[in-house]
Amino acid sequence: MSNLILEVNDVAISFGGVRAVNGATLNVHVDSVTSVIGPNGAGKTTLFNLISGAIKPDSGTILFQGLEIQNLLPHKIADRGIIRTFQGAKVIKRLSVLENLMLGGQDNPGDSLINFFNPKARQAYENASRDRAMELLQQIGIERFAHEYAGILSGGQRKLLDLARALMANPTMLLLDEPFAGVNPTLVEKLLEVLEDLRTKHHLTFLLIEHDLETVMNISDRVIVMAEGKVIADGEPNSIYENQAVIDAYLGTRKASS
Amino acid sequence: MSAIMQPGFWIFILTMSGIYGIFGLGLQVQYGVGGILNFGHVGMMALSSYTMAILVISHGINFWIAAAAGVAVAALGGAFLGLTTLRLRGDYFSIVSIAFSEIVRYVIFNSDNITGGTQGSLAIPPIGDNYPSYTDAWDSILRHVQDFLQPIFGDIVDREFVMAIFIWATLGILLLIISRVERTSWARVLRATREDDEVPAALGKNVFRFRLQAVVIGSIIGGIAGIYWALESSLLSPEDFLTVVTFYGWMILILSGATKVKGLPLAAIFFGFLYGGTRFFTFFPFSLVDSAQRAYIRIMIIGVVLIILMMKRPQGIFGKRQEMVLE
Amino acid sequence: MADFVQLLFNGLVEGSIFGIAALGISLVYSVLRLVNFAAGDFLTLSAFTTYFFSVDLHVPLVLAVLISMVIGIALSLFLELLIWRRLRKTGAGMLALFLVATGVAFVLRQSIALTFGSNSRKFDIDQIKTFEFLGAQIAQAQLVVLCCASIAITAIAVFIKKSAIGKNMRAYSDNPSLAAVSGINVQRVIIATWCISGAFGALAGVFQGTVQGQFTSGMGLDLLLSILAAVVLGTIGDAYGALVGGFVLGLVMELSTWHVFFGGIPSAYKPVVAFSVLVIVLLFKPEGIFGVKARRI
Repeated sequence: MSNLILEVNDVAISFGGVRAVNGATLNVHVDSVTSVIGPNGAGKTTLFNLISGAIKPDSGTILFQGLEIQNLLPHKIADRGIIRTFQGAKVIKRLSVLENLMLGGQDNPGDSLINFFNPKARQAYENASRDRAMELLQQIGIERFAHEYAGILSGGQRKLLDLARALMANPTMLLLDEPFAGVNPTLVEKLLEVLEDLRTKHHLTFLLIEHDLETVMNISDRVIVMAEGKVIADGEPNSIYENQAVIDAYLGTRKASS
Repeated sequence: MSAIMQPGFWIFILTMSGIYGIFGLGLQVQYGVGGILNFGHVGMMALSSYTMAILVISHGINFWIAAAAGVAVAALGGAFLGLTTLRLRGDYFSIVSIAFSEIVRYVIFNSDNITGGTQGSLAIPPIGDNYPSYTDAWDSILRHVQDFLQPIFGDIVDREFVMAIFIWATLGILLLIISRVERTSWARVLRATREDDEVPAALGKNVFRFRLQAVVIGSIIGGIAGIYWALESSLLSPEDFLTVVTFYGWMILILSGATKVKGLPLAAIFFGFLYGGTRFFTFFPFSLVDSAQRAYIRIMIIGVVLIILMMKRPQGIFGKRQEMVLE
Repeated sequence: MADFVQLLFNGLVEGSIFGIAALGISLVYSVLRLVNFAAGDFLTLSAFTTYFFSVDLHVPLVLAVLISMVIGIALSLFLELLIWRRLRKTGAGMLALFLVATGVAFVLRQSIALTFGSNSRKFDIDQIKTFEFLGAQIAQAQLVVLCCASIAITAIAVFIKKSAIGKNMRAYSDNPSLAAVSGINVQRVIIATWCISGAFGALAGVFQGTVQGQFTSGMGLDLLLSILAAVVLGTIGDAYGALVGGFVLGLVMELSTWHVFFGGIPSAYKPVVAFSVLVIVLLFKPEGIFGVKARRI
């Protein structure tokens, strides 16, 4: 039995004439924290979009828990257990913080119109969902904003909300797009606490895009380096530091512009 | 000026307000909850009213079944529109939705042998020798209620009065149901989708399905408005279902503040005055033009109101500016 | 065969008219993000003003057309100052723009109807003279329209591609904030856009009035949907796409009435054909023929 939860095989996609992802291959192991790093424009977010289903690859396959997902729509992929967060933490500003979280609830009977005629079932779920959401809010420390419009949260608080909302969706694998960017150090501590807690208690797999190399090296089991749409290195954090290709990729851009 | 003194004038305003209020509610579900800009809503009215009329007149079907069938056809129309175009970007959907209602009207206009074409529903080929009016069954209900209420409330209770009661009762029931629906998590998903459709999708919600459901529900309500329109006006013509009617609904929606239902009745009445007033007012400056031209002026006024409304007070009478700014 | 040539030619003529009108709409969208629902009524307006000047006032036709173009441009700029500029300042969203554009369309249409009445009009040109070509009857009026339209299309294509302001328009529509800070005169770009759209709308109106023979105050509105279909088909905001969309739809609409296709679709249903084609294309290319890959939901 493979302990690979995600397999990306030679995936490619072009926009206009630009090959944003040009034959990327990588694997993610169950219960691991894997980080994807690389210079800007390397194709990291495009890769995430391909995995989450927002765009379809021109070629290549993506397997999650052994099954092909590259042709599935985003909501189906989320259904299977891959939940993502977004660069810049998209919160729904016109909903309250609490409502944002409750949006993440899975198999909510109230989502189905037939259950309009079954208020008991709807109410029961909503109550349970609300309790869970409040717990999460307490855990991340923003429960005092529960009933405020999410639009009033600061950038760092929005990241926390984004993460908590992803958790409400019972993920098997979390795709975190720059979860620490622009967050002040105290909140980063908080985030790391929550992530570690999740890892140990809930057997979650993490795939992150991150620019802060120090954090990446500290928390990752594996690091994948992308440049120009390809995976140029893949291994344990220490080995990446020494990898010539990686150094070239990161310094290469500086060389070109000097 | 004497027109205003007649109770018939006020009942007319109330009736029109009620019908367009129901019509506007159909739009509210789509836009206020789902953020969907459907500009083909009048097509649903046309579908339900003509289906009902054709079934009663050409096929002798019982009015109540025909009316239900009419609303069902409106729902199917909404489903068809949604299935073919809801995955497209918003402005494409809006443009195609107008085409949808225009094509419905076109087909009605050009199918003389089924719909009566330009001559209207009076030219629908009847099933037997007599021309059955589709309002017969409805009229007898109205008469029963009228007979019941007249001894209590006096001569003011005529057919029109009872009609207005039924329309507003329907509107009231629909408002209650829809306001409940808007408190469910189904509505919450749509409200989120309205702002950003990537987030709900990333959380496992089938955004397309939710939007399609909103359009179908809105179309059912639009279909109900169509049946009442047919009953009120006793005869149908393609001219009754021009695209401008969709914008009557939008005006009511904007006036009501769009995102909540509670402002709808008043907004509908306000619109009713605008609509009915231009028909009945005979004083200056309306005395300058004849009745045909008055129709032009009415549409011009609607245009001007739409412009001023969106430029100066897009939140309408009841909406919050804060919510509009989030658009 | 003669039928085919006839329909082909009709399609080219109608397509060129759609293309010109669609180009104006796409251009306005690319620079201003506005779908100009009033565009159809600009067509009607120019047909009526051209009639007024050429037939009522006996001004030479070409001059009357030029005057109509000036009126079209002036009205466009007037609306820009009075309405569109203010709406942009308040950060109006898609709904506001749609509703205001519709409001403007209503006001314009009814004003035309009130001013000019409901009788149909006809330009004072020779509608009867025809040439024979491969068995088809080609009206001189149609030929003139096709020639003039082709000249206008070529001129604008060159203008957009080569002129400084054309380049600025393209830069601005690609990335408005970047263009603004790199020193492009945004005001000038916007004014140029309205000038082109106003002029081309006026031309399209005159051409259509010529080709149709008789026209009423509903002329522009009848065409608007087909024109919008062309805009969407060619991907909204893409000026060349609008031209392609216009020709494709014009040809498809005319050829659909050919008896070879199940006896020919009745010509009253041409707009239905246009939209059916559009919806089918959109099922495969949701952004239009020239669109870029979109996110999936």
